Amino acid sequence: MADVHSSNEDFLTGLIKLLEAAHKSGHGSIFLTQKRYTYGTTMKTESDSSSEDGLFPDFNLSEPVPIIVRATNGKGKEKRLEGEKVKISTIVEPNEIEGFFTRYADVCKMGMQGMKKRDRSKRKKGKDKKKGGEKKG
Amino acid sequence: MPTFKTSEEWLKQSSLLLKARPSTTRITTKYNNPHPDKAAKILKRKRPTTEEETDASKADSSPKATLTLKTFDPISGVVLKYETDKAAEIGRLIASLGTLGREMAALPEIAQEALAAKEGTGTNTPVPETIVKSTPTDTKGPQGTGNKKKKKGKK
Repeated sequence: MADVHSSNEDFLTGLIKLLEAAHKSGHGSIFLTQKRYTYGTTMKTESDSSSEDGLFPDFNLSEPVPIIVRATNGKGKEKRLEGEKVKISTIVEPNEIEGFFTRYADVCKMGMQGMKKRDRSKRKKGKDKKKGGEKKG
Repeated sequence: MPTFKTSEEWLKQSSLLLKARPSTTRITTKYNNPHPDKAAKILKRKRPTTEEETDASKADSSPKATLTLKTFDPISGVVLKYETDKAAEIGRLIASLGTLGREMAALPEIAQEALAAKEGTGTNTPVPETIVKSTPTDTKGPQGTGNKKKKKGKK
């Protein structure tokens, strides 16, 4: 695993590449994982004295914590040795979550082209156009 | 290991799990674009009654990638899953990943109404909340009067 986490921007461009590669080869999976980032951190609780908080120190955090988002193409075994395995990660600060996920959603919508498009063939095209016109006007 | 039929139910249960285990719960999203051969096999298995030839031709043309959302807590061993093959759902699902991300970061939840409005308008247009609220009333007004006028004219 790469020791250094990517910046949010680099992560998203890396994800675009991953999705493109999966699409070019015709098959393959991309795994995206998100989790609270707790590595090497001591949690700050609002009141350390009460016993309940001692049992569950992660319930009452005094301040928001970052989350970590990972992406991999899941290549294992011999392909890992060949250097085909790609594994990227980024840490998203609490105040950047909103912005990150909107861009993240755009990247996924653009990259995941293999999925079923909305089936419009069964509907009557004339009706759809009329409805659209009314809404706009 | 329940697989939910609706993404809303998945989101609700994942949110509850995240509240119980905020530091250990992780969400894995798998975008699976299967190998054409395997996809054809899966199609045959799922629909054994239809003719093989038509199935094969459909398998070649139609996209069959899937998106699987999995919420997992290693401490309790709880797994919550949701799977879809509809491209139209991607935006909404990533948006719900965002709301769950806020919970992971221990940020306060956004008010339910604001969330509902966001989901209703779709992720493409998150900004014009007030406009969306105003447009239905605007359109209803003229439409209502228009109908009345028509009815009067007919009589």
